Amino acid sequence: MKDLILIFVSTVLINNLVLSYFLGICPFLGVSGKIESAIGMGAAVTFVMTLATTIGWLIYHLALVKFNLIFLEYVIFILVIASLVQIVEMFIRKFSQPLYDALGIYLPLITTNCAILGAALFMVTKNYSFLESAVFGFSGGLGFSIVLIIMAGIREDLSYADIPKHFKGAPITLIVAGLLALIFMGFSGLISA
Amino acid sequence: MKEVIKIISVLTIVCLVCGFLLSFVYSGASEKIESNTKKAISDAIANLAPFAENIEEIKLGEKIAYKLFDKTGNLTGYAFIAEGQGYQGKIKMLAVIDINLEILEGIEIIESIETPGLGARIQEEFFRKQFQSLSVLPQITYTKDIPENSNQIKAITGATVSSKAVVNILNKRIKELSTHF
Amino acid sequence: MKDFLKGLWGQHPVFRQLLGMCPTLAVTTSALNGISMGLAVIFVLFFSSLVVSLIKKIVPNQVRIAVYTVIIATFVTIVDIFFKANFPQISRALGPYIPLIVVNCIILGRCEAFASRCSVAKSLLDALGMGLGFTWGVFLLGSIREVLGMGTILGFQIMPQGYNHLIIMILPAGAFIVLGLLIALMNRIEER
Repeated sequence: MKDLILIFVSTVLINNLVLSYFLGICPFLGVSGKIESAIGMGAAVTFVMTLATTIGWLIYHLALVKFNLIFLEYVIFILVIASLVQIVEMFIRKFSQPLYDALGIYLPLITTNCAILGAALFMVTKNYSFLESAVFGFSGGLGFSIVLIIMAGIREDLSYADIPKHFKGAPITLIVAGLLALIFMGFSGLISA
Repeated sequence: MKEVIKIISVLTIVCLVCGFLLSFVYSGASEKIESNTKKAISDAIANLAPFAENIEEIKLGEKIAYKLFDKTGNLTGYAFIAEGQGYQGKIKMLAVIDINLEILEGIEIIESIETPGLGARIQEEFFRKQFQSLSVLPQITYTKDIPENSNQIKAITGATVSSKAVVNILNKRIKELSTHF
Repeated sequence: MKDFLKGLWGQHPVFRQLLGMCPTLAVTTSALNGISMGLAVIFVLFFSSLVVSLIKKIVPNQVRIAVYTVIIATFVTIVDIFFKANFPQISRALGPYIPLIVVNCIILGRCEAFASRCSVAKSLLDALGMGLGFTWGVFLLGSIREVLGMGTILGFQIMPQGYNHLIIMILPAGAFIVLGLLIALMNRIEER
């Protein structure tokens, strides 16, 4: 249990996928304009990432390792993610129209979100157990959402600020992200085993 | 219906072709990858234990260690691989220890992805040198100041987590080894 | 020729289109890592564009993205195996970011936007231009971070002795800030 909590805290705050591994920067720059869309995107990513690490774990350990096909890892994972996104999309559309309206437009974008593939690959290199992978996937998504929402909040305010012309848009967003990364470094003292 | 068949057949063909291509490339390269790993280990042993003339691989439970023999055929020490979680990811190192498992001859970092400029400095000589003739009894410890005891090393400033990881990984593995001898 | 040149400046993948941010920021802790990543991307981009523009007519529209990603993933795996076999040192430094070329939006973006619509020759030129553009981008970023953060370039000491290393440049925070400043600089140059 202690291990799981440790993975949770360190993935959400210390080894944040966006701020310390640079994963999922594209949606981070693109979607983080408004808080509402940031929440939608974050929820969709958390959902798919949890599924991707758990299902990825099952396929990797029960099929790839067993049949000595580890070199197919990348191809299989990307197929798993792409089909997961497709299935989730169909599923949500069928059972919950409001949820589909909220998350629908973000789902296709997720296939090319490197945070999800990244999380699946990290789960393999870090040699997590099944349960640990599930927690890792969920907390990875949660960490992504938190940063995305914070960023969106800052950017909503930034639109009122007087930014030098050449810094408008991507440059100022990146610099703010840099400052956020600095702030998050402060969390690294949280865990001292 | 025709459309569906086309979709399925194209996808299947693409996956099959890619799968075959990959297994072909992989089978060609796997030997080389393996020999790279082996070479990294034998280089590290040669570096740390120049006296070792003969190296014998032994299996201890799941893991592998190496017996080192000198010119006259006497067992002079052991080499072993220790790996574990660092700050960013896995740290894998090779260490050489004396025959009584009391004093380290030194360590070499074989694999690590610690932060460049901070944690990655565990690969630098000034840090690794501290493990030469380091006593591992009762276990290795670290300090942020000047080391006082023969079993103590100085952690890298700003990279305590990585330094600590190295110490913990070694301690754990040495303890495992001592149950085998 | 235009197809080749636009990737180097006008539609620079990193500074103008903001594609492939994740490897751009992650592996540019040193100039050498930047170049290696750039070369890997050129290789994957070149061959994926080749294959995609060759088979564009037979791939049904609904599954094109899936087919493209599988093709890209295949070439990425080849690069990964190649580095592991021949340059184990580099393979270790780039670590988990080689497989992430699979989801590098530059490659999927070019396959989707260009190679699937244009002739083979044009697609290859486009791929080379974008790949080289990406490479000089990551090389520049990697050099700046290496010089400021460690006082070296490609491993050679160039800052004077006693230079106080700006460790932050090598940390993630530095990557974001340097890239932000570079894009602002590009905006300014472009405006002139």
